[in-house]
Amino acid sequence: MAAEIITSIFGDLTPLATMIVLVFGALALPGIQMFRKKCVVSWAFALILAVAALVIDICLLVDGYVGTYLGVVVTPYSTLMSMLFLIVLFFVVLVSNSSIETTKNHAGAYYSLLLGATTGMLFVVGSTDLLTIFVGVELTSISSYALVALKRKDGRASEAAVKYAIVGGMSTALTLYGISMIYGLAGTTTISNLATFVTVSDTFNWAFAIGMICMIAGYGFKIAAVPFHMWAPDVYEGASAPVSMFLATGSKKMGIAVFMQVFLVMFIAAATLGTVYGEVAQYTFAIIAAITMTLGNVVAIAQNNIKRMLAYSSIAQAGYILIMMAVMTPEAMAAGTFHMFTHVFMKGGAFLIVGALICAGIGEKLSDYKGLAKKAPFLAAAMMIFLFSLAGIPPLAGFTSKFFLFASAIGTPGETYAEWVWLAFVAILNSAISLYYYARVVKAMYIEKGSDTEKVKIPATFMAAIVLCLIFVVVLGVYPDLIYGFCEMAAYAI
Amino acid sequence: MSMILTSLIVIPFIGAILALLMGGSREKLSKYVAIAFSAIELVMSILLVTGVFGAFDTLSESFQWIHNDTFVINYALTVDGLSILMVFLTSLLVLLVNIFSLDEHRENNNYFYALIMAMEVGLIGVYTAADYFLFYIMWEVTLIPMYFMISWYGGPRRHYSAIKFFIYTHVASLVMLIGIFALGYMSVEPGAAVDFSFAAIKSGIASAALGTQSLIFALLFFGFMVKMPSVPFHTWLPDAHTEAPTEGSVLLAGVMLKMGSYGIIRVCIEALPDAAAYWQWLIIAIALISIIYGAYGCIAQTDLKKMVAFSSISHMGMVMLGIGCLSQAGITFAVFQMFAHGLITAMLFMVCGMTGHKVGTREIPLLGGLAGKMPMYALFMMIAFMASLGLPGLVGFWGEFPVIMAFYEFILENNVIWMLLFCMLSLMLTAGYYLWAMQRTLFGPETTKIDLTHAHDVAKFEFAALAVLSVLVAFFGVWPDAALQFLEPYTNGLIAAIGVI
Repeated sequence: MAAEIITSIFGDLTPLATMIVLVFGALALPGIQMFRKKCVVSWAFALILAVAALVIDICLLVDGYVGTYLGVVVTPYSTLMSMLFLIVLFFVVLVSNSSIETTKNHAGAYYSLLLGATTGMLFVVGSTDLLTIFVGVELTSISSYALVALKRKDGRASEAAVKYAIVGGMSTALTLYGISMIYGLAGTTTISNLATFVTVSDTFNWAFAIGMICMIAGYGFKIAAVPFHMWAPDVYEGASAPVSMFLATGSKKMGIAVFMQVFLVMFIAAATLGTVYGEVAQYTFAIIAAITMTLGNVVAIAQNNIKRMLAYSSIAQAGYILIMMAVMTPEAMAAGTFHMFTHVFMKGGAFLIVGALICAGIGEKLSDYKGLAKKAPFLAAAMMIFLFSLAGIPPLAGFTSKFFLFASAIGTPGETYAEWVWLAFVAILNSAISLYYYARVVKAMYIEKGSDTEKVKIPATFMAAIVLCLIFVVVLGVYPDLIYGFCEMAAYAI
Repeated sequence: MSMILTSLIVIPFIGAILALLMGGSREKLSKYVAIAFSAIELVMSILLVTGVFGAFDTLSESFQWIHNDTFVINYALTVDGLSILMVFLTSLLVLLVNIFSLDEHRENNNYFYALIMAMEVGLIGVYTAADYFLFYIMWEVTLIPMYFMISWYGGPRRHYSAIKFFIYTHVASLVMLIGIFALGYMSVEPGAAVDFSFAAIKSGIASAALGTQSLIFALLFFGFMVKMPSVPFHTWLPDAHTEAPTEGSVLLAGVMLKMGSYGIIRVCIEALPDAAAYWQWLIIAIALISIIYGAYGCIAQTDLKKMVAFSSISHMGMVMLGIGCLSQAGITFAVFQMFAHGLITAMLFMVCGMTGHKVGTREIPLLGGLAGKMPMYALFMMIAFMASLGLPGLVGFWGEFPVIMAFYEFILENNVIWMLLFCMLSLMLTAGYYLWAMQRTLFGPETTKIDLTHAHDVAKFEFAALAVLSVLVAFFGVWPDAALQFLEPYTNGLIAAIGVI
């Protein structure tokens, strides 16, 4: 079927097919920009490649393709996660041409970096070794630093880029140091071998624990888990809206994917058997999850800049997703993966609206949103739906995925986990807190009177992307089986 | 499979969408759209009650919705003796509210009517759902329209009240959601998928240990109790009512509070009867405290509408008391009290709303002698107050008196005669605050503290709504069997199934 066509084109290289497409684009784009100065050419080229990669990936996913080439392993898990990253890429590229702040003068470089960063993500989800994962993460990170810095004339963007690069460099150093310690003790960097090492160890080794902590801290920076979150609000605020969206929904998910591939795979057997490292790891992740979601939500209440608020709410959402790292069951993993998908659409949609409004000359302060319902009825309604979905109001996607996720912390059929019910309670209380700051935005848009009532016009590409997100937020809410089935397959594949 | 029950949800939904689209120049039309669709809904529910579609308890519907390795979730609807009364009450009150509001003109009428119709979708959904997932979704669907109703069309402190209402009840429903998860997981064998349908959980949970059951009961009960609301989680209600527009208050007190007591019977009692017996004393205690505290609260209020809000707390406490007896009579008349309170409280809030609208203030100390100026208004207020304090011959009597009888049996069984004092106290207080309020508002010398020259009597559409309610209040007061005939088969079955007498 569809996968066979792809196999016939790419042959042995099929596992790398999506990456080949993206790398080709990343290399070609600066050249195209040189000969064709118009941004729209680069944009169309990047968009076509993003769609092509997405189509290839979906074909592989639907056919359940499994394969290996040069250490890149394709399973339902990696194709599912690739699909997530490619969807993000598609949305970001789609709107980028209208968001003048990013594309002016460097369209070629911009799209090239976006494709490059996404290639890194795809590489990460196909890897099974600490070092290859590290390389993939670096490819993404370094491209992202440059992406943030592209808004050159803006002081905030430069500050954000510097901050992001320094913090990112720190985290890289930490990670590498951690990997070296672990290699020294276990003698391997292949994750499956490490998992065996962890499972059979019956004494607690501090050096190994410190190595692990370095790695958790290093990758914790990527997903902005508390206490490694400080950079996120500044960077999201400083970067242009499409780039913020790319970081919040794409790059952050890559961090979570790393968590799943490295720590989950390493500790799941140990956790099931109840050996020493398993328990410690579970509680560590539970505490990180609880603190991350609570701090994210509480601080978000105080924000008056919508982008910053969304940044903190992203931190909180990462906390919810980390629940799966504590619970460590296939159900939790499936639910966590599903929440990542719904998060892409609802958070992505919210960022898109912020970006669209910036294009239309409306600021990013909460007070700028006053009376938006009069100025842009559709955008206000869409924003309300995205925010309510983030808060977990049924029947939207955010509710369904949180339902699965929190349910997985409370138990599996026939059993309730006494040890994780508190985590579910914390998560649910957090959901209630989060409602407060989301409702503030809704209140500003719908209840408070704005200064003018002139209708807002936004670019068509933004409109298309927002409508797509909206459709998915509603459809995944009432028909989660569309993706949830794949999430279960992925969870068992990992 | 017939789609009658689905159509009950779809009709108001279409009404809401159409009303929403009637913006700008067609704004006036939106109210007629709302009236038309709520009238169709009422006709449908009357046909359902009278059995034109066949006996209503044979009309269950179920469609596969979310099926995976962990969850089996169906779109399932059903109607029985308990829900049929609530469905009827909901469709009746929504239509009457729409008619009542015809005399008033407000900005953005189309949003207003869309909200009312959207609320009806959620309410009917809650009362007909036969699957916990659907039940929870519908439960939350009622929340958002009410939030906007208060914060767009409410009084001066509306933003505060709306947020308080939203967060209070949302937190409660999240706790309930945890209870639902636990209910699901504990009702199946390890490894099987959790089936969230009411029937599957009811049969599955029965084998769980009493300790587990009572813990789950506590979670669910908390969720429902905040909605009812019971003391000490009642504080959102007076605020919400004081600020909500009349139409919002009528629906809030008339049918939304009943979601709480409906949930207690449908979920807590039906699925977890042993746990209910375990917590029986706590339920009774909460009920008595709500009754007495609510009544005392009424006496202290100077705002007529706030007084009625507190009386709702007291009367919903009466519902809880009936449920707490865990006997056939107790539960039957608790449900009847829900129905009766729905009718009466709708009248009460309409009358209070008219006071604010026509006289300009609802502060009791500023009012006086309104009967001479507004005789029809005074008549409706008297009917509503008398019905609410339980005058024999009106519907309120059949809500309160038999519940107290059922409680009396409980008292005799447990040898706690002194508890009867609470009942007597509550009756005295209720009569007291109503009569006192009536005396200060309607009778005595005409007030000079406010300008009454512009006060005019009941307008024609308001009259129509209130007249229909008055007739029903009298009708069910004289012939309560009209409602009880649906209810008794249900409670007999319930008591036989749970085996607690």
